[in-house]
Amino acid sequence: MLRLLCGLGLASVVLASAAATPAPLCTLVPGWTPTGAPRTYTADNLFEYMDGNSEGYLRYHFQEMRGVTCRQGGVTFVIDISDMEDSALAYGLFTTNRDLRHPQYAVGMGGQIVPRRLIFAKGQYYVEIAADPEGDYTAALQTWAAALVKLVPGDASVPAEFSWFRQDKLESLRLVPESVLGLRILQRGYLAQYDFGKAFVVPEESPEAAAAVMAQWKARLGATIPANLGDEAFQAADDYLGKLLVFRKGRYLAGYAISSAGADAAALCSELAGKIR
Amino acid sequence: MDRTASRRSFLAAGLALPAVASASRPQNPALPVPRPLSVPETGPGFQYRTLGKTGLRVTTVGMGCMITSDGSVVERAADLGITYFDTARGYQQGNNERMVGAALKRRRKQVVLSTKTEARDKADALAQIDTSLKELGTDYVDIWYLHGRTRAADITDDLIEAQQMAKQAGKIRFAGVSTHGGQPELIPFLARHEKIDVILTAYNFTMEPVMTAVIEQAAKAGKGVVAMKVMAGGPGRGGRGRGRGGANPNAGKLAQPGAMAAVLRWVTRNPHVATTVPSMTDMDQLADNIKAGTQTYGADDEKLLALHREWLRPSYCNMCGQCDGSCRNGLPVADVLRFVTYAEGYGQFALGRERFQELGVELAAVRCGDCPGCTVTCPHGVRVVDRLTRAQELFAC
Repeated sequence: MLRLLCGLGLASVVLASAAATPAPLCTLVPGWTPTGAPRTYTADNLFEYMDGNSEGYLRYHFQEMRGVTCRQGGVTFVIDISDMEDSALAYGLFTTNRDLRHPQYAVGMGGQIVPRRLIFAKGQYYVEIAADPEGDYTAALQTWAAALVKLVPGDASVPAEFSWFRQDKLESLRLVPESVLGLRILQRGYLAQYDFGKAFVVPEESPEAAAAVMAQWKARLGATIPANLGDEAFQAADDYLGKLLVFRKGRYLAGYAISSAGADAAALCSELAGKIR
Repeated sequence: MDRTASRRSFLAAGLALPAVASASRPQNPALPVPRPLSVPETGPGFQYRTLGKTGLRVTTVGMGCMITSDGSVVERAADLGITYFDTARGYQQGNNERMVGAALKRRRKQVVLSTKTEARDKADALAQIDTSLKELGTDYVDIWYLHGRTRAADITDDLIEAQQMAKQAGKIRFAGVSTHGGQPELIPFLARHEKIDVILTAYNFTMEPVMTAVIEQAAKAGKGVVAMKVMAGGPGRGGRGRGRGGANPNAGKLAQPGAMAAVLRWVTRNPHVATTVPSMTDMDQLADNIKAGTQTYGADDEKLLALHREWLRPSYCNMCGQCDGSCRNGLPVADVLRFVTYAEGYGQFALGRERFQELGVELAAVRCGDCPGCTVTCPHGVRVVDRLTRAQELFAC
């Protein structure tokens, strides 16, 4: 890696990168002009750009960011495109950052526009614009979304795992990049929050690996009761997660953690198991 | 770097966040309820300190919630006795506040809760505290920090007024400032500032002795001192991320069980630090940190950290100032070495560059490579010429 600090202001350039992250340009939308130098950050120096908030990107396997700051009149748009390694992680970061109280905006795999911010994911890329000063920039952000989605390569289909969760009473659905349910043994997985509890799907490398993790979890819990679902299953109760019904289907560990009375964990898990392919 | 046009300035702009955790507990568990994870059963238990003149009693190990993966971890931390919890408006685009608030709902009155604002003016700050309270599901926060400030000029009268207004309205109990860089100058300023109650600062074993001195100064002035970045970047994230841990040949040793506990204990042994906010991702890390916080810093800890310091020695200036005045070209050597430390030690490249350029054109134009022989020596073994040359490579553009 060669750092070319003088020519690029605070940026550094990665020469070895095989597939270059697309670089946003102010000229993508007429009427906008650049302010400052274009920027490139890698995992090694993202901290310089956003301090401790870089942790949130690194957890989603951040690889590289290219950005530019554009102005029109007194308005500044800070535009960044981040390579997140794969589409699940890019969409996963989007799912963590979106605001469910606001509607999604149809761009890429999924997007959202609120008055001062645009975010969307497409392929392995996570795209964001932050606007300043205070104001409602919805129209301009929509224009930029249309321009940027053409620039960013990749598939616009949402990773299949996100479609496995029931929509009824769904509060949030996201990819947790590490320690699903607060448990380190569940390294990466999908987590849905409902008003009655949580559903999760944790992919492992193989059925054997999934079985090993399941055994670890059971040992950790202590008291468990076998259940009849998928390749293997158990029930347990946890002080913080509630009533657990966990099953393995092939290389997937999945289940529900029910935190309020009335929800039928067996029926919910059966439905989830039927969708896992 | 134009910080006003950076994303750092916009992190709290616009997006609030989805609920990510339910703090509710099972009503009728059909099975015996096991403890999810073993916790220390022996030892001296938590250590408590008073947070400056606020009078708040806190455990020396608090909880940084920024990257916590699930609200259940926060809830369990409170159940186990941790009393200090830290979040910020900008964490996870605001998502984090909602998770923390839900997790602490049952214990809100028993814990000290802090959040932060990156706002740059009063109106924005006051709007943000209202949003924070709503997301946290509480009527007040105990401490409200101005987030990530590096110089006295960042602590504007406008923002201080916002904090005072929030305090008078009962929305916050105490006013604070958090800082990741520039502490040698900023903390003494904050120590003298009568409107600031608490200082949240990066502090770890690589930052001696200047940081230890200014923290003592602040504590003696009655400020509550909370330490963050206490893990010194950790043992490295597999080569990802900044910090000295990344290329450290001792990283393997620091990755060994117990090593990070030593790093945490090094901070908690300082009586002028009331509490710490190490990030805790999951139940395992929570258990490790609690265990570390209930044990005393010992000879084995010192031995381990001494190894790491030895690795740092050629590049790490402890800011003793003994080299001042020894450069024939008039370079303020200790200052320039500090600027490199900002960039390479604390991840504050922009701050280092900014301070370097403030030296003026003449000093910024000095190139150590052009000098026939260096007159500067370091009694502590720092390779001064290498570090000055590094500063010129990084900043003198």
